[in-house]
Amino acid sequence: MNQPLLEVENLRFRFRGQAQDVVQDVSFRLGRNETLCIVGESGCGKSVTALALMGLLPQDSVRFGAGRIRFDGESFAPGDHDRIARMRGDRMAMIFQEPMTSLNPAFRIGDQIAEAVERHRNCGHAAARARALEMLGKVGIPAPEQRLDAYPHQLSGGMRQRVMIAMALANDPELLIADEPTTALDVTVQAQILELIAELQAETGMGTIMITHDLGVVAEIATNVAVMYAGQVVEYGSARSIFENPQHPYTIGLMASVPSLTGPRRRLSTVPGVVPAIGQMPEGCRFSSRCPFAAPVCAGRPDLAEQDPGHRVACHFAPLERTLERSA
Amino acid sequence: MTDLILKADGLKKHFQVGGGFMAETKTVRAVDGVSIEVRRGETFAIVGESGCGKSTLARLLMRLLEPTEGAIEFDGRDIAGIRGRDLRELRRDMQFVFQDPFSSLNPRMSVGKLVGEPIETHRPELSRAQRRQEVARLLRTVGLRPEHADRYPHEFSGGQRQRIGIARALASNPRLVIGDEPVSALDVSVQAQVVNLLHDLKSKLDMTLVIIAHDLAVIRHMSDRVAVMYLGQVVESGPTDEIFARPRHPYTLALLSAIPEPVHGRERTRIALSGETPSPASPPSGCRFHTRCPFAREDCATRVPELRVAANETRVACHYWEEIAATRPKAGLTPAAARSEGAQRRFALYEAATLRQTDRPETASNAGATT
Repeated sequence: MNQPLLEVENLRFRFRGQAQDVVQDVSFRLGRNETLCIVGESGCGKSVTALALMGLLPQDSVRFGAGRIRFDGESFAPGDHDRIARMRGDRMAMIFQEPMTSLNPAFRIGDQIAEAVERHRNCGHAAARARALEMLGKVGIPAPEQRLDAYPHQLSGGMRQRVMIAMALANDPELLIADEPTTALDVTVQAQILELIAELQAETGMGTIMITHDLGVVAEIATNVAVMYAGQVVEYGSARSIFENPQHPYTIGLMASVPSLTGPRRRLSTVPGVVPAIGQMPEGCRFSSRCPFAAPVCAGRPDLAEQDPGHRVACHFAPLERTLERSA
Repeated sequence: MTDLILKADGLKKHFQVGGGFMAETKTVRAVDGVSIEVRRGETFAIVGESGCGKSTLARLLMRLLEPTEGAIEFDGRDIAGIRGRDLRELRRDMQFVFQDPFSSLNPRMSVGKLVGEPIETHRPELSRAQRRQEVARLLRTVGLRPEHADRYPHEFSGGQRQRIGIARALASNPRLVIGDEPVSALDVSVQAQVVNLLHDLKSKLDMTLVIIAHDLAVIRHMSDRVAVMYLGQVVESGPTDEIFARPRHPYTLALLSAIPEPVHGRERTRIALSGETPSPASPPSGCRFHTRCPFAREDCATRVPELRVAANETRVACHYWEEIAATRPKAGLTPAAARSEGAQRRFALYEAATLRQTDRPETASNAGATT
């Protein structure tokens, strides 16, 4: 029972015609009932990692390196689209940031949920609709019998996200990937949706990968955290160790950029510049072009090395205070 | 009286929607009786969730929309009904920064043109060469380089485009700048850069800022006073520190308790709100918040609460805030737990190192990565 639900080992791929990898050697593991948060800014490769895991990248334009995915004991290559397609929507499911663009506006929501059930289960339309009704009730949609025949545009943003969750979970997946599911929502509605996902997770024991840029959301729900920058995992560890003892300069820069809700108001630290485009990434440590501590040694790629038990950091200078305070 | 730069009194904006053939016309009460006072030199924030009317209010204050009812005074002068030359003069003194730096800049205009245009409008006396100099000065002021004037918006990142938007707003030397979600489309690290920039500009140029936002952490960081809006009305207003330390209105309580904080293992009592904001086309009777309020009583559905003075310049529109406060002695947010000792030293190192970097404005790091 100690076997993790999902293990990703050295996931690496690039798009056709590009000289650099979009995602480079990304590894993590996820247990049942756990939540892994992948955090980083736009362009850091978090969404594209999720899409690759779900086999949703266009097959003819992506080239995978030699990585492995182990899902529930089964090991396969990340480019094995047929195998992933069989599991997608059934054993693993995904919800997206903008529910309006992921729901088909021309179909009633009941039918859209039922379609997902019919596709993977040997059951008739009536049974699938019954399951759709059950799921709508489960995700807290008021008067689900009537909503079954509603169109997406008749629902609010929060309700649409609930429908997306109902659809994703209709087949009791073991793995749920949620890509910024609450970013488009108001905070009070966000709190409701996060609560809902946590409840459903406790009930089914599924593993969840949550992709977000919001460190507040991470602190709230994560078991483990992977901080990504420019397609690489730069820091990985338990939520507790990441928040109490962050090591990587990027993690520190992100945390210092967030205005605090309590305590004295001080000038915000920033991460200077922006994420470079693919093809313009520096060799070695990709953060070096924005890192205030960058030195010649950073032209070599740092290992994601264990700093504390279970807490890994990819920085030549970690721990910063020991290597830098002397020279400062 | 001269202490106030902007004052709105009983401001209303109702939109008629629908009303096609045989269809019924509905009235959306986007802003429904808002009174605010903005003091000279302060940063005033308006906060609320989508649909609360904050953006409509900003456009009313700017006179981009004409109010249905109510008065707006800028610098002691009534501006609710002005037009023509007066309105143009008002535009010089009061400028707007938009949320989306991707759609608010004309993609066919070079940055020099974009920033030069408002100079041409508001300071026609400047010669072409003077205008070019002025554009260069403005670009430097917002942390861009003068040679960026020859480029087009698509060559810039989101944060840089927002800087261009700010340079445009500053071109007429305004006394008041209204920002409608000026940083919410940006990533946190870039957001911090723009927040710092606005802060610096405000003190350097002696401006008043009005910030519309939904992000409470940004609001707390930037503003001196804040007004919380719900369904077209102000439900609570006062000094920012007071509101965050002692929120009184149940909606403010819920809003503050809903923010996820980037602190691990924080114990908190969340005030869960059921449902979502009702439509401003048919707002609930009595207190508009009563349909979602966990403390609502029977008469909340019939009696409209007035915005009344609570303490320390704070005003609250709730019949029962005193009783609610008595049952919740610690409604505000408690300070965050400290990070590990090593982490604190790392943050100090990081801060010192980035400060050294950004003190040199001509480095690429300050202006971004476009080359």
